[in-house]
Amino acid sequence: MTLFFQYAMTIARYGVVLLSAAIIIRSIRSMLSERYEPETWAYIKRGGTLIPVTHWENIIGRSPFSDIRIDHRSMSRVHAVLTRSDNGVWRIYDIFSRGGVWVNDSKVGINGTSLRSRDVLSFGGSTVLFYDISTEQKKELEERRTKVGARVSPAVTLLELTLFEICLLIEQIIYADDEYTALIAVAFAGLIALQWMCYYLMCFMGRSGFEVETLAFYLSSLGLSVAASSVPEDMLQQLIFTIVGVAMFLFGGLWLRKLKRTYAMRIPVGILALLLLAVNVIFSDAVLGAKNWLSIGGFSFQPSEFVKVLYVYVGASTLDRLYRRQNLYSFIFFSACCVVALALIGDFGTALIFFASFLVISFMRSGSIATVMLAVTGAGLAGVLAISVKPHIASRFAIWGHVWEDIYDKGYQQTRAMSAAASGGLFGKGAGNGWLHTIFAANTDMVFAEVCEELGLMIGLCMVLAVLTLAFFAVRSARSGRSAFYSIAACAAMSMMLVQMGLNVFGSLDILPFTGVTFPFVSRGGSSLLSCWMMMGYIKAADTRRGSSFAVRDIRRIDDLYGDDDDDYYDDDEDNGEEKH
Amino acid sequence: MKRISNRAVSVLFLAFLVICGMIVYVIRYVDDGAKWAMYFSRINSGSTGELTDRNGIRLAFFSGSENSFSEDDFTRRANYHVTGDYWGRTGTGVLSRFSGELQGFDPISGTTQVENSRLKLNIDSRLNNIIYKQLFQLTKNGEDRYSLDENGNDVIIRAERYNAAVLVCNYRTGELLGMVSMPTVDPLDADTVPQEGAYINRCLSAAFVPGSVFKLVTAIAAIENLPDLDSRSYYCEKTYDIAGVPIVCSGVHYTQNFAQALANSCNVAFSQIAVSLGQDTMVKYVKELGLLDRHELDGIPTAKGSYPTEFVGDPELGWSGIGQSTDLVCPYSLLRIVSAIANDGVIVEPKLIMDGKKAESSRLLERTTAEKMKELMAFNVSYHYGGDATFPGLNICAKTGTAETGYGTTHSWFAGFLNDDAHPYAFVTFVEDGGDGLGTAGVLTNRILQYYLKELSE
Repeated sequence: MTLFFQYAMTIARYGVVLLSAAIIIRSIRSMLSERYEPETWAYIKRGGTLIPVTHWENIIGRSPFSDIRIDHRSMSRVHAVLTRSDNGVWRIYDIFSRGGVWVNDSKVGINGTSLRSRDVLSFGGSTVLFYDISTEQKKELEERRTKVGARVSPAVTLLELTLFEICLLIEQIIYADDEYTALIAVAFAGLIALQWMCYYLMCFMGRSGFEVETLAFYLSSLGLSVAASSVPEDMLQQLIFTIVGVAMFLFGGLWLRKLKRTYAMRIPVGILALLLLAVNVIFSDAVLGAKNWLSIGGFSFQPSEFVKVLYVYVGASTLDRLYRRQNLYSFIFFSACCVVALALIGDFGTALIFFASFLVISFMRSGSIATVMLAVTGAGLAGVLAISVKPHIASRFAIWGHVWEDIYDKGYQQTRAMSAAASGGLFGKGAGNGWLHTIFAANTDMVFAEVCEELGLMIGLCMVLAVLTLAFFAVRSARSGRSAFYSIAACAAMSMMLVQMGLNVFGSLDILPFTGVTFPFVSRGGSSLLSCWMMMGYIKAADTRRGSSFAVRDIRRIDDLYGDDDDDYYDDDEDNGEEKH
Repeated sequence: MKRISNRAVSVLFLAFLVICGMIVYVIRYVDDGAKWAMYFSRINSGSTGELTDRNGIRLAFFSGSENSFSEDDFTRRANYHVTGDYWGRTGTGVLSRFSGELQGFDPISGTTQVENSRLKLNIDSRLNNIIYKQLFQLTKNGEDRYSLDENGNDVIIRAERYNAAVLVCNYRTGELLGMVSMPTVDPLDADTVPQEGAYINRCLSAAFVPGSVFKLVTAIAAIENLPDLDSRSYYCEKTYDIAGVPIVCSGVHYTQNFAQALANSCNVAFSQIAVSLGQDTMVKYVKELGLLDRHELDGIPTAKGSYPTEFVGDPELGWSGIGQSTDLVCPYSLLRIVSAIANDGVIVEPKLIMDGKKAESSRLLERTTAEKMKELMAFNVSYHYGGDATFPGLNICAKTGTAETGYGTTHSWFAGFLNDDAHPYAFVTFVEDGGDGLGTAGVLTNRILQYYLKELSE
């Protein structure tokens, strides 16, 4: 290596680490440490005070956990739900309250009554006034909120990411075979172009929140580097997967803008999910103990990856529905079908990911720790059964914690992964300069080790931190999501990713049994990459910061009240028959 | 919504678990990272160095860009289980186990570069080549044949060869001179798929049914515990009943004394001896002689053997005394016993690396016992194995073993030493499913030693 290359190499090696740290820190500042005010959609006037209504779905009650708290002894703890539809129709529902709900002296049933501004709401003994706000008022209120990107510019973060990718590219080119350098360069250039196009599209749409995309692109570029080290011939394929993933992310985000159509599609989506799994169970062939691959016309994919996205969709729910048991029962039934199908497929890693997401969703919906404990116990028993029935799972548990005692057979992959990961130190041996990629599944199941080997433990930690940041952001956004649907979906999506990442990282490092699941965005594999990008749509849909997310309609442009779109979802209640439960 | 967002904390619980896991990993990395990295990752440290045998012959050498072995493919295969490879396919090889000496590591930079590291072995690659050649020539079904494949290219159809293990050490100094395991691998040949089990070093990492070589252990116990041993006689007419269960002997030996019984390898006699010693005594000797332990050859762990330590009845005890039952012995453990016998009862622990350090030694047997055993093993050779006719010019003391595997074949064993101060070599030769102990392993050992002594004298 000439002196020039050595300098380039050294700069790139440390540059990658510094830039990673900068990208993560800027994202954390922008996403987690800035203060963002909630949106205001209406007011409730009680006596002399105005209480802002900050969501599309609000609980009115005496409990301190109510969104609109009316501390009066006539109120039930959870008394009523106040909702707003996409096109601005407000409704109020009585949630089995003791005192009942009256709007202008007519009693409200569980099917709810629509509201207009200045309606009088009575809850047993206490009376309040409901005020909707006009578009002008909304605009005025909106201007007072903190704008995303004002203090931490998304363009600067993206520029850092671009430099990071260029450093990776330099390293890859130095170490790659000559025949692949052009291909690798094209793929990285494509990724850089894609992310800037995506950014300008956001600017065009008047949006300035780009942290979620930046972190996803950050992880995708690590994925591209892993592909360049292990399968340089497939670089373009990896780029195309990323492009398709981003397209699906954009489509998903735009789709989620309208709560009504989103919610109406839950049942078809659920059916689609079950169909995908059924086709998978029936038609696919076993690959390495799990038959989770499906081949159609030479193109093979993992249906379970897409079912993850659909599962979150089906699992999330609007607030008014949460209080109907039927709704939760059908979700539990759906979850059971998914997990059984995955068990039949033999994909226990994914089944575990679904289960964790099920726990988060059912806890968010029911708030009952007892239910969660019951589910955990049930799953524990099912797990014991699975271990005793499936020998390859039992053997993975048997070797867990003892991989160095069987380095030729059962501990083969983990010991190599641990050795390679340790050999990289904090700064790695250089992208493309590892040996672990010669071991089977290094670029999927052991990808954390491959990244640690080539780019160092610092990047490995950054990669985990990026996913953690997204998870913290989802939790933070849940507080201000317009609908419970978005909040639940974002949290469910991130819990899936967290569990998946945990199983991937700790499985390959012998801290957990080896399950063979992928690291979000970084592991090679089209289906997995696509599903991760689609999951990001849920995060965007819950992000209600001012002018932030393309998946959330701008509050200033919602000219809606009594608008042209009259078929309000909350009116045509198809669940009439079941409400007597 | 407030309720929902409060419940979103459940996601933080998962995040917390991930953070805990990462902390566990970082702590483990700081503690054990060096060990992990050294194991398989020498290749990316950029270090340079070489591995040579006792005479300075290069067995492996590496630089930042190249990882190579001896130019001679025969030498590469003969020494594969000693050198191992850069990829950790056989974990007991020197390149894997001593990668720490061949490179550096620190938790900040990971593996680090070491220039011109050198590791010298006690192994004599000439001896390994001789051993390998003999094992290579020993085929089950004729010779290698040449044939044409569908494209008209020459292909070799290899004859089937025996799985085998041969160990030779200097019992005075502990230097391990020869170690060959079959089947073996050419580490530079990436195209040929190695035979099943080729990555296992049968000398160190496996234990086998010992058969009659185990009678050495029974004999040692007998010498130290049966005071009237020399005056006892044993009558063998092929079978002998212990509590109604027949012990079958390989021959009909009629009346014999103890020395003759060992030379005849008489099952009837030795099962009676084991029974009269009792299981506790047998277990005590098996343990004291280190057959159940995991030993370390310069830090490379060896396989444990097995012996019925839970109570078994007399018939099973009888079988265990002649190396059958559930007995298993690692060739390396047996080498320690024959070296100790040869070295007046003191075991000089074998050493693979020539690092200037003196080998550890300790007393394994009473001096008198060792002397008695030496006499008995010399008597074996002169009385029953054909003496100088079978082993011309070698002052050899040994014991054969023809171990029933339980599936119709027998393992062939030959363990002993040269009672020769110029050539103080102890050896264990083991051929899996190799048939008769003397006929296969014995003959093989003779050839190996003949060629090696000739090589040394040149």
